[in-house]
Amino acid sequence: MADQPTATERFVQGILPENPVYRQLLGLCATLAVTNGMKPALTMAVCVAFVLVCANVVISLIRNLLKPHLRIVVFTLTIATFVTVADRVLAAYMFQMSKTLGPYIPLIIVNCLIICRCEVCASKQNVVIAAADALGQSIGFGLALASIAAIREILGTGMLMGFRVLPSFWPDWVIMVLPPGAFITLGLLLGLVNYIDFKREQTRN
Amino acid sequence: MDYFVDILLIALSASIINNFIFYYFVGICPFVGVSKKVDMAFGMGCAVTFVMSIAAFLSWGITVFVLIPGAPVSAFIAGFFTTPEAAAQIDLTVLSYIVYIFAIASSVQFVEMYVKKFFPPLYRSFGVFLPLITTNCAILFACLTIMSHVAGVDNPKEVWDLGKAMTLALFGGLGFTIAIVIMAGIREELELCDIPKPFEGAAITLVIGGIIAIAFMGFTGVDSGVKKALKPVPHVSQVQEQPQRVALLNTKDCKGVIMP
Amino acid sequence: MSLKNSNLVQAWLVLLLATLFGTALAGIQAKLGPVIEANKVKETMAKIPVLVLGEDLSAELAADNQSLTIKSRVIDVKKNGITKFYTVYDVWLPEGKMVGHVVKADGQGYADKIELLVGLDAQGKHITGLFVLDQKETPGLGAKIMEDAWRGQFKEKSTEKTLSVVKGGGAKEDEIDAISGATISSRSVTGIVNTTVANVASQLQVTDNPASNSKTPAVQTEDPGKNKEHS
Repeated sequence: MADQPTATERFVQGILPENPVYRQLLGLCATLAVTNGMKPALTMAVCVAFVLVCANVVISLIRNLLKPHLRIVVFTLTIATFVTVADRVLAAYMFQMSKTLGPYIPLIIVNCLIICRCEVCASKQNVVIAAADALGQSIGFGLALASIAAIREILGTGMLMGFRVLPSFWPDWVIMVLPPGAFITLGLLLGLVNYIDFKREQTRN
Repeated sequence: MDYFVDILLIALSASIINNFIFYYFVGICPFVGVSKKVDMAFGMGCAVTFVMSIAAFLSWGITVFVLIPGAPVSAFIAGFFTTPEAAAQIDLTVLSYIVYIFAIASSVQFVEMYVKKFFPPLYRSFGVFLPLITTNCAILFACLTIMSHVAGVDNPKEVWDLGKAMTLALFGGLGFTIAIVIMAGIREELELCDIPKPFEGAAITLVIGGIIAIAFMGFTGVDSGVKKALKPVPHVSQVQEQPQRVALLNTKDCKGVIMP
Repeated sequence: MSLKNSNLVQAWLVLLLATLFGTALAGIQAKLGPVIEANKVKETMAKIPVLVLGEDLSAELAADNQSLTIKSRVIDVKKNGITKFYTVYDVWLPEGKMVGHVVKADGQGYADKIELLVGLDAQGKHITGLFVLDQKETPGLGAKIMEDAWRGQFKEKSTEKTLSVVKGGGAKEDEIDAISGATISSRSVTGIVNTTVANVASQLQVTDNPASNSKTPAVQTEDPGKNKEHS
């Protein structure tokens, strides 16, 4: 049971202190592309979580058998398999959503977040820690996606998940749901996170 | 003629109108990471274009000859085990993602070895980027776009041939290079600016990226305009050119009113 | 550590993993493949009753637990040496009376390709409905072509006249009101509908028995006089 505290620690670390999007700048492609609405963003987060947890567990199980030069190949094989599974399941049970997300589901394969967690954590730690790490990171990723999607959807359409949030006289900022809105929202949020950090550092000193 | 118009439209769309970075958000990692200096950005752009062309060639070939239902290679191999009819039905597209990522990874490896051996100056200029490119979403995205135009297309006339696939890859890479070089040019100037500390680095890059993306949005619709100019005239104006047909339509209209 | 250093073990490990994953994927494909195919077909099929009969009648039909007979065929229209393919769904009422056709059409929009389903009545004289299957127009502007209010304008339009797009409301009989801020998208959709109707409407026959029609070969026409190609 000596591993238990580290597992919890890995779990908590992933959510905010080592947030994959705001702190490590990983998986930006998906972050920008699917956050024009809350529903696609959440679906994407769930898919990434599924792939990340499965890949981390599998890699962690076979970590003692792997030679370093083969590891990237095995990582890619594992990730690609689970992404295909996620893609098929989505196409079978949420057809409309899989059409909306389009190529961004298969692009999870090259999402740096997953390969980075496999390399940094799963290939060195035992299964429990690897799973906890994956869960924490996926929750962090999901929170980041949700925060960006919420801002873009509310400002861009005045609605959130189909409910009107802003008064109807609000002039919809269409640009927010278009590609430029993604860049600007993420840029400003990143600046904001850095600013909060900065202030904290100052008060601590 | 029509074929060249198609090629032109794909090229325009991939490089500028639906730019890989500013419209599809693929390849953001190098866009943020390797855009500090113009020459480095240019090297990265060239490397991506190069690998993308090779990956597009491979993935087009694999999709057409192995993966899609009725593909010659898979049908030939399956022909040893089942009837030809059953063999022609074999659909391996479920394996496409795995196959593409391995095609990309192995082509990157071979390109690296080849360039290192035969073109040392070239290797020095962009060799360092090659391993990074394996996990560049832009390459896989190009392969997936080609796949979506080859597999599962209802209209046999709209299936892309190798020429179209290569055009997409070459000009997609060109668009990527344009985007990353513009960004690097701006960031070189930014060195001289007084940026608020929290915004230094990635944050300001993304905000600038957003502004450039707004500029690029101005190109939307150029392709439909070009298409209208180069392809046969739509038939609304045709009616105006030939008044006798309007008359014909009118008499028909009367009948149409009576008939129900 | 000896395990880690043996090349044989490494090779077998990779092979084993590949086989394992391959089997898993094959299993998933075998289980989900038919569901996905059904989804693709259903996406179009589910729209057909509403497009041909309208909301009320199709709801009534569904309430009665009756189903339409739908058969699809491909029509190829040759013009100026270019062949254009249309998928046509012929629709019959349960008792065998033909009620209409739905044509799948596509063409260039403002941003990308637009895919439409155009509903026509049995004789091909009137448009009975329009549905947008796929589009990538600007959200909030061009994407309004998806909205019922705009699509609804096409209902009851005669197919013998060319529809034209007007700005600022007040659309008359053979006119379509443009979406404000998205005239190009509106024109694109109207253009696709016009071309489709011109190419296909004359090829539709009324056959009151679904079984007999299935053997009809694809209809071809040669019409070099008209320039209606758009793709």
